[in-house]
Amino acid sequence: MKKILALVAVVALVAFAAPAFANVNPFMDVPMNHWAYDAIGQLAARGVLSGYPDGTYKGNQPMTRYEAASAVARALAVVDMTKASKQDVEMLKRLVVEFKDELDALGVKVDQIDSRLAVIEDRLGGWKIWGAFRFDAEFGANDELIDPVYGVTGANRFRVQRYRIFLRKYIDDKVTFTARLGGRDIEFERYYIDVKFPWDITATIGLWDSDWEDDDGLYVDNDAMFTDRPLRGFYFDKPFAMGNFAFYATRPDEIATTADDFEKERYEIGARVKLNFNEQLWLSLNGIMRNYDSAVDRENEHIYWGALGINFTPAIALKAAYYGQENDIGSGDTDTANSFQAIIDISQDALKFTSFWAEYRSFDEGFFAWTDGPWDMYGTVTGQNLGENYDSAMFFYLNQKWTDQWSTFQRYLVANPRADGLDDTTNWTFGVKYYYTPALSFELLYDNIENAVTNADRDDSLIRFRTEINF
Amino acid sequence: MSFNRVRTCAFVALIACLSFALASVVFADAKVLARWSQTKSYEDKKMGGELDVRVTYYSSEYIEALVKEEAEKNLWTEDETEQFKYRLISGLSLDDYIPVNIEFDNRGPTMHLAPFDRFVTLWAGKKKIAPVEYDKRFNFGFQGKRDGLVYFPRYDEKGRSNLEGVKSVRLDMKGAISSITMNLSTVDFIWDISRDDPDALYKGKAASRLELDRLIKRMDNLNAEKKKLENQLAELNSELDTVEQRVEELQRQ
Repeated sequence: MKKILALVAVVALVAFAAPAFANVNPFMDVPMNHWAYDAIGQLAARGVLSGYPDGTYKGNQPMTRYEAASAVARALAVVDMTKASKQDVEMLKRLVVEFKDELDALGVKVDQIDSRLAVIEDRLGGWKIWGAFRFDAEFGANDELIDPVYGVTGANRFRVQRYRIFLRKYIDDKVTFTARLGGRDIEFERYYIDVKFPWDITATIGLWDSDWEDDDGLYVDNDAMFTDRPLRGFYFDKPFAMGNFAFYATRPDEIATTADDFEKERYEIGARVKLNFNEQLWLSLNGIMRNYDSAVDRENEHIYWGALGINFTPAIALKAAYYGQENDIGSGDTDTANSFQAIIDISQDALKFTSFWAEYRSFDEGFFAWTDGPWDMYGTVTGQNLGENYDSAMFFYLNQKWTDQWSTFQRYLVANPRADGLDDTTNWTFGVKYYYTPALSFELLYDNIENAVTNADRDDSLIRFRTEINF
Repeated sequence: MSFNRVRTCAFVALIACLSFALASVVFADAKVLARWSQTKSYEDKKMGGELDVRVTYYSSEYIEALVKEEAEKNLWTEDETEQFKYRLISGLSLDDYIPVNIEFDNRGPTMHLAPFDRFVTLWAGKKKIAPVEYDKRFNFGFQGKRDGLVYFPRYDEKGRSNLEGVKSVRLDMKGAISSITMNLSTVDFIWDISRDDPDALYKGKAASRLELDRLIKRMDNLNAEKKKLENQLAELNSELDTVEQRVEELQRQ
């Protein structure tokens, strides 16, 4: 990097703090008509640039990392933090991170710099913004289907599949505000505050999401069966030495009632406790009750489950869960449907070349998922009425991380229909993912579904190329 | 393929994988390193971002295994091995702190963790311990890899060990560290430390140097205290002289 160009970055940091009058350039080899004459003069006047003992600046020589770090260190000493703009702060941060080792060697305490930056960030409002965006090119195979498995048949489509923009502000030591913008209608899909109360209790108030099944590592594919849904209400979490207790109470927004929301007018109450007995054994007990308003023509429904995990080593775990679903059917009677789940979860640390996930689930008739079909990752495979259509399912997922950039994955599902004479529903996938940078990835996959939701010949396949950017 | 046949094949594959996995961890050192340096991987099922978090607790058996592994890998002499061990232990400041190394590999949206001590807690028994020091680079938003040490105090304000009588410690990071984990209550790591013996580290030449360091540090502290007391004494003497002079002046009047 030429010195003249390098100082452009630094001059931006101090220019705003420099006095309005022009500075005399002390270096004999910088001509008065040079575009950087004033900038170099300002930096020299403020002690950021020192030049060489012979009175020259030697702007055409390459700048070493140490010289750049020295300039950053001197700039930090003179920068007027109360006048810095957000862009300046961000640039300063990047420079400090880039030259951390050199600054350390120069005896500049990065933590002291950091505390100065924190003050500026407070002044700037402390807003953090981050997000993700993905674009899919999808090519469906079967254009004969009336009820498309992938939502795309024969005809291919390119689309912005999903984007999300997150905002967060630390209001003070006790309160944080978080929001998420997304969706086709560009709406706030989440907005909530986290409040720290005494006795280590944290309350989350607003429109939030919690995923207790993922907390216990009970799924690796499309979605949770009962949690991981946006809910409006109050969520309390109380951690303790070897676990935590959580409780929530929610209700839909009745002012914005639509026909669909009216169906959902209910109180939903959930509670959960997670206990880690030691590094190898844990247990969680969970329950969610939905009580519909009397005006709504729908019976109450509840789900209770207990999950247990054994970590043979940090990389090899056996997990099991038992779900009991109760649905009121009027006159004080209840229908009960249960489900059992067992999982072997081995990370790539243990097997070296691949991770390995094997899962078995059985369903009683009438058991259904509240959130989404657990394996409907790329298209509709089983749907949510699991107990009505299937008595059991097995699912395998393997992921191979070859390098920091390249990985491959495979998944396979076989679900056994409840009714006699029907073929199994199967779904398999092979995919390759490449990270061009940690922020940008490309993924190419092939997915194949046969007998979707037990319907004979409802077969389809998909080739999808995804571009994903995170920022 | 019938469901029963798939089930049989799956069972055989499962047993094979389990056997392979178990065989890979029977090597004692690898097992020790894997136990104290744990990795958890998270994926945003909706958006596709990935996050790996590796956390290392520096137990005495981990340090011994790490020193042994490095020595074997680099073909070090005993003296070089002791030097490495000395540098490692003194760098970790095990006398005063409980150090934990945290490594993030963030292949998802930018993680904003400032101030980082707001996101991380160590539970030792019933004690909730906040960090006293951490790598300030965690405070800068980042994508990709970032790692650093977080130090928790080894002793409470009354000078008692925070790990005395503790069976397990749990490093508790908030799910809010990343949008990939923000629906989770916690990203936590647990180590059973009841059989960890920190004194076991203090053997050999490295231990002698560490003891010498401790003694020099203690001598410095005592000298500083001595100097402080001497200054106080000098101030008192000076004040006494002043008072005596004034008394003499008054008596002469």
